[in-house]
Amino acid sequence: MTKNKRILTICLLIIFVLTLGGCGSNSNESKVVNEGKEPAKQVSDPKVEENEKILMDQLQPMPELKKGEKIGILVITLANPYWVTLKESYERAAKELGVNVEVMAAPNEGDTKSQLETLQAMTAKDYQGLIISPIEPYNLVPGVVSANKKGIKVVNLGPGINVDAVKEAGGKLDGRITVDFAEQGQRAAEYIVEKIGKDGGKVAIIQGIPGAGQSEGRTSGARKVFENTPGIELVSIQPGNWDRNTAYNITTNLLQAHPDIKGIFCCNDVMALAAADALVAAGKREGRIIFGVDFIDEAKEAIGTGKLDGSIAYSMDAYAKAGIILCLKTIQGMEVPKQVNSPLAVVTRENIQEYKNWH
Amino acid sequence: MKQFNRFLLIWDQKFSQILLGLVLFTTVFLLSLASPFFMTWDNWRNILDQSALQVIIAVGMTFVICTGGIDLSVGSVTALSGVCMAAAMHAGVSVEMAVFGGIVAGAFVGMSNGLLVSRLNLNPFIVTLGTMAVARGVALIITKGIPIYGFSREFTWWGNGHIGPLNPPMLTAVFIALLGALVLNKTKLGYYTLALGGNEEALRRSGVAYKLYKLIVYTICGITAAIGGLVVTARLNTAEPLAGSMFELDAIAAVVLGGTDMKGGRGSITGTVTACLLLGVLRNGLTILSIPSYYQQLAIGVIILVAIIISELRLKNAPGHGNIIH
Repeated sequence: MTKNKRILTICLLIIFVLTLGGCGSNSNESKVVNEGKEPAKQVSDPKVEENEKILMDQLQPMPELKKGEKIGILVITLANPYWVTLKESYERAAKELGVNVEVMAAPNEGDTKSQLETLQAMTAKDYQGLIISPIEPYNLVPGVVSANKKGIKVVNLGPGINVDAVKEAGGKLDGRITVDFAEQGQRAAEYIVEKIGKDGGKVAIIQGIPGAGQSEGRTSGARKVFENTPGIELVSIQPGNWDRNTAYNITTNLLQAHPDIKGIFCCNDVMALAAADALVAAGKREGRIIFGVDFIDEAKEAIGTGKLDGSIAYSMDAYAKAGIILCLKTIQGMEVPKQVNSPLAVVTRENIQEYKNWH
Repeated sequence: MKQFNRFLLIWDQKFSQILLGLVLFTTVFLLSLASPFFMTWDNWRNILDQSALQVIIAVGMTFVICTGGIDLSVGSVTALSGVCMAAAMHAGVSVEMAVFGGIVAGAFVGMSNGLLVSRLNLNPFIVTLGTMAVARGVALIITKGIPIYGFSREFTWWGNGHIGPLNPPMLTAVFIALLGALVLNKTKLGYYTLALGGNEEALRRSGVAYKLYKLIVYTICGITAAIGGLVVTARLNTAEPLAGSMFELDAIAAVVLGGTDMKGGRGSITGTVTACLLLGVLRNGLTILSIPSYYQQLAIGVIILVAIIISELRLKNAPGHGNIIH
């Protein structure tokens, strides 16, 4: 028995060393990423500059830069390439603007409780401002209130936090920057309708997580266009939960039910790529329009090869930069506009060449 | 010498809890060295607040696992009971009745699990896997997929009210844990719960209404999950049909980490509570140290695996393994 216990004690020691070793090396690693490795310098692109200028004009006058403010950023999940790209954009912008940022996330797209817990732990730290993107409109509300109490400024980027819920809980948002989700859906749907032409036909929408701001906004925008166009029949709106596999299965089922479907609008690129894959696998890609949103790298490639018909883009770099500037303005006590909207671009097979260097 | 033997006996019985307590203590100590933000009351309040929910659900799960069973439906039951309360309140039902209704819904799912497992002698893993999907489906149907938002202050108090420096979820968790420990260690129900896991056959032969006890245990688990639903709905002021995803795994992890044997017959509420705190401290600490979520998942997974390995290794060498009731 005693020998046994000795072994156990050793095991225990090993766990500690492993856990701590893990912690230590990880935090060093993230520092190296921030300081050592230069984030890849992006090629300047006239389209992006134009996009950035429209955003920055909404944010005049500029805050004082290079003061080394510490900003905590909470995105949805780093298991989705969209948020990984945004994280990189944040880090580039932070370097340019001379602030320190730390980007945290929930373990997966649906884990609303973990996201709140992460936010609450972040409010215990010495950040001066937070930029947060919630999984759904209500899950981060208590965290916003605790940040308010500690005097940390809170900027909401992307999917909206429900303002009434925050107010009711006794808190406030200091700033808000987003893209018009309904407009994203609307412009994608307009393209699909135009391509289908006057013969009309069946279309479908694959949503994200029902109830999530981006998902509802994009769906309602696209739905309005589809329902108001004569000849277009919206046969189905299905929740794909932002998930590749779910979207793939939905598409296969849609094809079973409606073999003559002509267009599918997906609320993000990951699902649009899955839908395209499902059509290709069924040998029914020809003559159908698949449109996504976000213009992630994989989508850029897929539009180039013709697998995907198009996507709605907005410059991530400009978006992240504007988010940080907005947060700096609130930290420095400057007036900020009630809501800042990022301009959109419709990227399609026809104009993909102009967006080669988009970032 | 006699005293020393006694000490060894306690050491042996409480081995997992003592070990876990030490791990918790050391983790806290190291985290407080690693970050100046860890040892603040605000942060501890966060940790306790977050662990409270897990404790509430894990206490019920401890009972089920003590019988050698499992309940995968707790996460969905959390969502379902929250949604029932919300829908009832929005339909004009009083807060008390709505909460009662939600808990009854949870108890009903638990009871169904218990009936299927005990009367039809079905495998609890499969039964609760089924009810997990059923409960989630009903929650989605009631809400049509859209979260129900906005309740009276009287209701949200259960999630974010103040009682001195503490809040209602913490006190609810403490109450449920104490009650659970009392029932498990001091009552006939607790004794039979452990006996069901230890040797069901013996219990059956001695003429005990063991099916009834099994039914009660699963119902308890449904009720604690429903109380978890009350807390999570009140805290967010929203009933989400997708709430509670992965709660079952968090709860099972805490129970096993706390030294309860997956094969049943041996379990401890103290261990479960300590494990919930340890997991809460770890999640919070890793966030405070700004460690990316990828590593957090990995770290927590590794710790759970190591805990199970240690407990198995120990049991293999322990005399009378499998039938210990204490």
